[in-house]
Amino acid sequence: MDTLKEDLKKQIIEQLNLEDITPSDIQDDSALFDDAGLGLDSIDALELIVLLEKYHGIQVTNPDEGKEAFKSVQTMADYIRKRKGDL
Amino acid sequence: MAYISAASTISHQPTFRNAGFSNVIQPLQQGSVLISPDYKSFIEAGLLRRMSKILRMSVACSKDCIAQAGIDQPDAIIVGTGLGCLLDTEKFLNNSMTIEGLLPPTSFIQSTHNTMAGQISLSIGNHGYNMTHTQNTLSFEHAVQDGMLLLNEGEEHILVGAADEHIEILDEISEKLKINFETGLTSAASFFILSNAKSEATLAKIRDVRTIGLVTDVSAQIKAFLAENKIGPDGLDLVLFSGKPQDSAEISYSENKNSPIDFTGFSGVYPTSSAFALHFAIDKMGNNKTLKHILICNALNKSNLGLTLIESVEA
Repeated sequence: MDTLKEDLKKQIIEQLNLEDITPSDIQDDSALFDDAGLGLDSIDALELIVLLEKYHGIQVTNPDEGKEAFKSVQTMADYIRKRKGDL
Repeated sequence: MAYISAASTISHQPTFRNAGFSNVIQPLQQGSVLISPDYKSFIEAGLLRRMSKILRMSVACSKDCIAQAGIDQPDAIIVGTGLGCLLDTEKFLNNSMTIEGLLPPTSFIQSTHNTMAGQISLSIGNHGYNMTHTQNTLSFEHAVQDGMLLLNEGEEHILVGAADEHIEILDEISEKLKINFETGLTSAASFFILSNAKSEATLAKIRDVRTIGLVTDVSAQIKAFLAENKIGPDGLDLVLFSGKPQDSAEISYSENKNSPIDFTGFSGVYPTSSAFALHFAIDKMGNNKTLKHILICNALNKSNLGLTLIESVEA
């Protein structure tokens, strides 16, 4: 099991106060900002930026990067690994 | 004059969707808790998850009012609040003191006083006039006045309400200020649809509402208010009051009828508790057809006086 993705799911649930949702309800590839996925909105996007800094020490300074990184849990995990690998 | 077409209250009493509650509720005891409905019936999960107590109460009451009145949209949304969104304010301030780096945005966005009116608007898709009044204990009366002015200008239905929420630090502050409230500080929201015409939905009428700041002679103010509304010494059937206006003679009009009621004994203490009193008065009129005129005398803050004259549908 990929612990980074599991940790991300727990962090997303806590940071966004997703009531009635458990980590197992979130698929790695499901779209975070799509009604078919978690149906997040623009305020949630800001919360995800805070989440990356709070839990992973990563600052998202390029909006285009964030748009791509926040597509799914999988892309968030890839983004974190890439940024940490860059350091 | 405004016709009240709907009323909805969430409080520490069983007021929500409970017509006739004024006959059965008992004075609050210390340690009472907010009686919340199942908010998922009124607010979609995506919005509900980030809403604090005051927002949940306000949106649920508003939707209940709109359903009761049988209207699609109010022409305006007007909210009165004394202290605003305290839970989010406290959360944001705690975050700003303890978190280094980026601060979570939600509590900051939702800490402003106008969040209730904004969330109601977003929840029902309303694009009309949207206003928040915050003037301490007279916030609700000012919201009602604003609504009545809009009705005079030709609007048909206005959603007017008030909400305040309790957080624990208020108890600490009142203790340090040596202010003791018998019933304790509480949370509540009351919303109403004010309409410009009588209909089958009409519950009662607001004949007049007045606010007086830095009041010195409460008795004279009440007498003048009643005289202007052509209500004689025997014209009032009931007085609901908060604070200590009973120290003078101004509520003696009801001596020969029903005893004046300190409504904070039922609502608990919060800055906009006169909104609870309005719903309480309407409900009492529904239960007792002999009640034609009720005066709400809001002297919760001794330097502020709010006067609301309510008239039954039959009067």
